[in-house]
Parts: sequence; C-alpha cells; structure tokens
Amino acid sequence: MIVAKGKPLEEIIEAVKDSQSILVAGCNECVTVCEAGGSKEVGVLAAALRLYFQNQGRKVQVGEITLQRQCDREYVSQAREEVEPYSVVISLACGVGCQFMAEEYATLPVQPGVNTLFMGGALERGVWSERCQGCGNCLLALTGGICPVARCAKRLLNGPCGGSTGGKCEISKEVDCAWHLIIERLKALGRLEDYEKIIPLKDWSTDRAGGPRKVVKEEVRL
Amino acid sequence: MGLKDKLAAGEFAVLAELEPPKGVDVTAFLGHAQRIKGRVDAVVVPEMSNAVMKLSSLGGCVLLAAKGLETILQVCCRDRNRLALQADLLAAAALGVPNVMAVEGEPPSFGDHHKARPVYDLELVELLQVIQKLTRGRDMSGVEMEGAPSFTMGATLNTGVLGAVPQELAALDQKLAAGAEFFVTPPVFDLEQLAGFVKHLAGRPVKIIPNVLLLKSVGMARAIDMHVKNVQMPRLLIERLKAAPDRVRECVEIAVELIQGVKAAGYSGVMISPLGWEERLPRILEAIS
Repeated sequence: MIVAKGKPLEEIIEAVKDSQSILVAGCNECVTVCEAGGSKEVGVLAAALRLYFQNQGRKVQVGEITLQRQCDREYVSQAREEVEPYSVVISLACGVGCQFMAEEYATLPVQPGVNTLFMGGALERGVWSERCQGCGNCLLALTGGICPVARCAKRLLNGPCGGSTGGKCEISKEVDCAWHLIIERLKALGRLEDYEKIIPLKDWSTDRAGGPRKVVKEEVRL
Repeated sequence: MGLKDKLAAGEFAVLAELEPPKGVDVTAFLGHAQRIKGRVDAVVVPEMSNAVMKLSSLGGCVLLAAKGLETILQVCCRDRNRLALQADLLAAAALGVPNVMAVEGEPPSFGDHHKARPVYDLELVELLQVIQKLTRGRDMSGVEMEGAPSFTMGATLNTGVLGAVPQELAALDQKLAAGAEFFVTPPVFDLEQLAGFVKHLAGRPVKIIPNVLLLKSVGMARAIDMHVKNVQMPRLLIERLKAAPDRVRECVEIAVELIQGVKAAGYSGVMISPLGWEERLPRILEAIS
C-alpha cells in the first residue's frame, strides 16, 4: 500500500485558517489501512479543526467525507454535490488522491492533510515499513525477494558496503542491512551461488529519470 | 582586463564556447584555445551539454587556466548533489577559475547515457544562491569556511520564450536576487525578436550576452527551426543560406553579421558557439575586431 502520515495540525491550520468552510476528505484505501486518512482520521481532524475555530470565536463549517478511492476519477466526480459547497478541501488521501481531487475541482483549493511517504506494509499494528520505490524494472527475482533499491540506503545492487555491521546499516542500528537480509534469504533458498552473479548496471530510465510515467493497457481501454 | 571588470566598465565582452573532448586527448581543445587566446575575454567550457558524457567543465577550465586563458565554469544541476556542487565550486576557485555560469542541464534522455539517474538536488536559482553563499564565506549548511571563493556569476535567460514572458521575468528576478550578473541567451538568429524580449525587462540591471551559434548547413537551420522551440529562425535566413554559392562562407558571414548586430545593439557581450567549427573562430574574431 501507499503509506502516509498525518501532517502536523499546526501546518494544516495555517493552510486553511482563513477559510469559511472546510471539507475534510478521507480515502477508504491505503490511507485507511495505514491509519492516516480513513474515516477515523477524518473525524479526528475535523473535531480538532472545529475546536480550533471555536476557540478563535469563528464560525467555520467543517464537513466530513470519505471517498471509496480518491485516485479514481469516477468516485471523485460522484462526490461533486458534497464537495462543491465548501471553500477548501483538506485531502487525507495520498498525493495521488489529493491531485485527483484538485484536477476534478479545478477552482476549489485542495490542501494535503498527510505526507505521502512510501510503498510499504505493516510490520505490526502501528508500524509500517518501506518495501518498494516503483523503479519500473523489478529485480526481486535476483535478490531473493528483498529489494536493495528500496531497502539499501545506497541502493547497492551487488552486495553490502563497508558500513554493514552485525546485519545493521551504518545509517542507524534500527535499520536492517538489506544485503545482509538478501544473503540470509539466498542461504535459506539454497541459492547462495546467486550472490556471486553480478547484477547489471541499473537502467534508471524506467524510474523517474525518464520523467513522469504512464501505463497504457490498450486491451482494457474503452 | 578580466571579464568582471569588462562587464563593470560596460565594455563589449567576447566569450567563446569550447567543448571539451570525449576522452583525454586534449590536443585539439588546447589548440583551439591557443588560437583564440588574447582575442576573447573568456572561454565558456560546457558541462556535458545535451547530457553527452565528456571531460568535465572543471577539468576543461583548469586545463585552459594553465594556458593563461580566463574561463567560465558551467555548474549543472543534473549530475551532482549539493555536496558535489559545492566541492567542485571550491575546487574551481582554488584552481583559478574566476567565473561560473549555472545551468539546469538537459535530462539524461537527451544524451548518450539514457539509463542514468539524474540528480537535480538543487534547482537553478538554489544553485545560484549557494554560489552566492559560498562567496560570502559559508557553505550551504552555514558552516564558515577557510577562505571564500570569488566568482563572477552568470546564468541563462530564455529570451526565446514564447507566451511565458511573465514567468521568465519572475525567474530572472530570482536569479538577479541570487547574485547572477550576466545572462547568456539561447542561440539568436533574429535580433528583432531578441529586442522584443528585452523591451520587457523594464529597467532591470541585466547584462545580456546573446549566444551566436555557427550554422553549418541548411539542414541544421531547418532542424533548429523545426525542433528548437525557444530559438526563432527567420525564414529569410534559411532562404539566404540555400541560395548561397558557398554555404560554408555564408554560414560564417551570417555569424559575423549577427555578432556585429549584437555589438551595435549595445548588449553586454556575445558568446560564440562554434560547435565543431572551432577552426573558423579566429577568422570570425578577426572579422569582428
């Protein structure tokens, strides 16, 4: 999933403090799972904003909505009647959802309420960890299913650097060395000989180097 | 008189662009430089223009500085992060490069290393701000340095911009505030179009150095006309080149006329880009002197 984290309340207030009416818009997908922008977080933020404006002695209408998916034009446009009466939207969706809202409602300010961080998963309740950078050319088959692009601080493709100590990365003892994990995994798979194979230079043109990316699947187009 | 003083005195500065080699044989590079030494105020050494891997601008500048030529280092956002950019700027100053020109750099997809990962850690205005900060004795993190570099700073100005003049002027104001002193334009073939852009400057203290690029053929003129959006290629110029009995001579003649036109119009200087015709530079410089 796409993992996000709520922006500090002060930053959100600064962005919307002069508005007359505010709609806090959540998303039922990734940000619900990572507990950053689902209906629960929409309610919490809306309550905090109401309290802020009440303390300021201002009457500001704060509405709540949670779309099925903000990264889907159909769902975003279906919410028109509920969205358009407001003077500003705070999107608690990821950066994709926030932009789709802004594209759909061209004259309505849409403010991000979360910082979108990475593609990852939950390690345990309340802990999410990065697993993929969307480099566009997956090499997990070569590395035992552990991604050095996303998980090695230097994105090394051919073994650990000199900073790997006791299975930890030099940037923090909290961070696993991706190559330590890869070697252990290859051992478990009985494929340690794969470690000796040199992974070719990475083609970054499929990453952001080639500019914004787009996928077109002709057979499913209408 | 160095470039800095010449610009300050309002005298016409002649810059030449010399591409460093792809490789380490610098014989031709130094030979071209030797032939124009004393006839140009400074040599601009491009930093891997069009994202084609070559000997670096810093290396080229140091080689030329050792031969007694004044140089302009191109610093480029594409390939270096803020650490590397600052380190190379310090190296340049310590090695005798007195001028820098900040450029954004074309993405790797333009060049011969399509799979490269671009950097763009700093954008153009931020890079200028960093250079300015270095000249004031502190690095980007605010740490005081042992000795500050001294640079005359330049940047690019997209005078060929179509329909986005306010944005270009806003960018220009940011570059001026960040300490840029001279501004090199895209290749100019139509001085009236350039003058049209300059009218928008409204009293800004901008030292404009138009770029005169040597045409080599009708095909090159047509290609620029068709594919380079911010360069206006007058139809008459293409017709003139087509009709010329000696097209090489005509190409040189066109460059000379453009440089003379730039000078007569009162611009701060000119940057001549021979782009493969370096051996014709002395003739051009003679014709304009």
